[in-house]
Amino acid sequence: MAAAGPLLAAGRRHERPGPGRLVRDSLLIAGRYLRVLRGNPGRLVYPLVQPVLILVLFVSVMENLASVTGGPYRQFLIPGIMIQNVVLTAPVTGLALVRDAATGLADRFRSLPMPRSAVLIGRSVSDTVVFFAQALVMIGVAYLLGFHVRTGLAGIAGIIAVAMGFGTALGIMCAWLALLIGDVETAERALFFPFIPLAFVSAAYAPVGQLAGWLQPVAKVNPVTSAVVVVRAIADGGPLVVPVLHLAGWTAALSVVPGLLAVRRWQKAP
Amino acid sequence: MTDSAGELAIEATGVVKSFGTVRALRGVDLTVPAGMLVALLGPNGAGKTTLVRILATLLRQDSGTVRVLGCDAAAHPYAVRSGIGLTGQYAGLDEALPGHHNLMLIGRLGGLGRQEARRRAADLAERFGLAPAIGRLVRTYSGGMRRRLDLAASLMNRPALLILDEPTTGLDPGSRVELWAALRELRAGGTTMLLTTQYLEEADRFTDAVHVLDHGLVIAAGTAAQLKARAGTQVVDVLLDRQDAAVAAVLLGARVAPADLHVDEASRRLTIRAREGIGTLLTAAQLLRAAGIGVADIALRQPSLDEAFLALTAGPAR
Repeated sequence: MAAAGPLLAAGRRHERPGPGRLVRDSLLIAGRYLRVLRGNPGRLVYPLVQPVLILVLFVSVMENLASVTGGPYRQFLIPGIMIQNVVLTAPVTGLALVRDAATGLADRFRSLPMPRSAVLIGRSVSDTVVFFAQALVMIGVAYLLGFHVRTGLAGIAGIIAVAMGFGTALGIMCAWLALLIGDVETAERALFFPFIPLAFVSAAYAPVGQLAGWLQPVAKVNPVTSAVVVVRAIADGGPLVVPVLHLAGWTAALSVVPGLLAVRRWQKAP
Repeated sequence: MTDSAGELAIEATGVVKSFGTVRALRGVDLTVPAGMLVALLGPNGAGKTTLVRILATLLRQDSGTVRVLGCDAAAHPYAVRSGIGLTGQYAGLDEALPGHHNLMLIGRLGGLGRQEARRRAADLAERFGLAPAIGRLVRTYSGGMRRRLDLAASLMNRPALLILDEPTTGLDPGSRVELWAALRELRAGGTTMLLTTQYLEEADRFTDAVHVLDHGLVIAAGTAAQLKARAGTQVVDVLLDRQDAAVAAVLLGARVAPADLHVDEASRRLTIRAREGIGTLLTAAQLLRAAGIGVADIALRQPSLDEAFLALTAGPAR
């Protein structure tokens, strides 16, 4: 027990804060980031406009180059671009945290009686909101481009949920990596670099069977492939159980342990 | 704060902290009685920030004990955190948010309810002269405004102990005066404060006690006056009429040990350690007069804290 003298005013929280505080403080942190977006709407241009641009360009440029069995290429390609976009957005979670970790604000957070995981969780929640908005916009544009979700509104909700869940998990992984790297500029390059091959060596643009032979084993186990396969299965009304379990496994692997490590790292850095 | 009279807000004993092979703290003892404003004085690299970070539970010491507000900081960091406010070396603010939301965020994360935080934020904005700017993004604030907002943020949760790491560094003289006024007001209200500073005259003028940290050790502690007395004898200051400093130095050098004599030719100023008190002053005055060197001013005075500090850090502790 803490032998607190009268200096510590009565009624203050003396011990480790409980789960109620974790939820409250995480939402406060999420609110902080979302408020920053609201007050600086320019920061939303990249996450919301760029995916639309990429979607329109990719579909327009590549549609007549490629063909896949079982339907038009755009129906095949659009889930790939959606997940690729999630992959390219996820590093933002890590970059924001490593940028915060270097400021006096991080020290102030660390000196407050808040749960130490609240900053990471709060940032992830605010990025989940961004992933949601992104997925909504992309689905809308994809629909205009002729993308069909055969499973209807439930399917659209499912696709958005996949983008949010996968993006958030990847974001948590990025948070750990970024805090491990520690330096903002290095982290910027180091996080985006592996994500380009990660997005391409997958089933995002072509069926795994049509990739160069040496890429196929990588593409098969790639989590991007798992996410793309689930989105396609939802859109085309295919079987879901196995792909969803596969994706759930990846989501957990990317978020649980890296999340705990990221929290430890956050509390100690620098 | 009558209930806390006589209590120790900070009680650190034998605190050691190393970073790799660098021994930042080599066994620091520090006590800060409740209600006092105490300065931690030391050159860059002395270990001030490391000590502050340990006291604020941002770091954990390798050995030694740290009790803050009656709680063991290593065993009960959350208890300590609920009673302290930290103003770090770099402003703990989100520049992309308005001042008001910065205060709200820190208050709410500290445990205040929404209404209470709102009231407190408005009070503090008023008190620190930030009310007209409180709705603006912090990135539009001047350096002095940022510092005041930063201080206001660390006061949101009514800390019993406020820890400030170089609060006046980088401020213009006007902002520095404002900040000191705010700190003295807090002191009058009963808040205990520990601050680090490199501005010796500030520690001299405003604090109740000074701890001098050098190479990871507290090498002296006491009131500013005690430190000056400890640093040695009084000083004779001589200001010459004309540029005769070199001649005067030769003249005095025959009677005074070289280490006791400091000559600044550009400002025509001589400083002599007064080992014989008024006798040293008389000797110097007679010598100069006999040689026909005009004296604009001559005085016997206490050493400045700068001189005390240099004498202490150059002393046997090293």
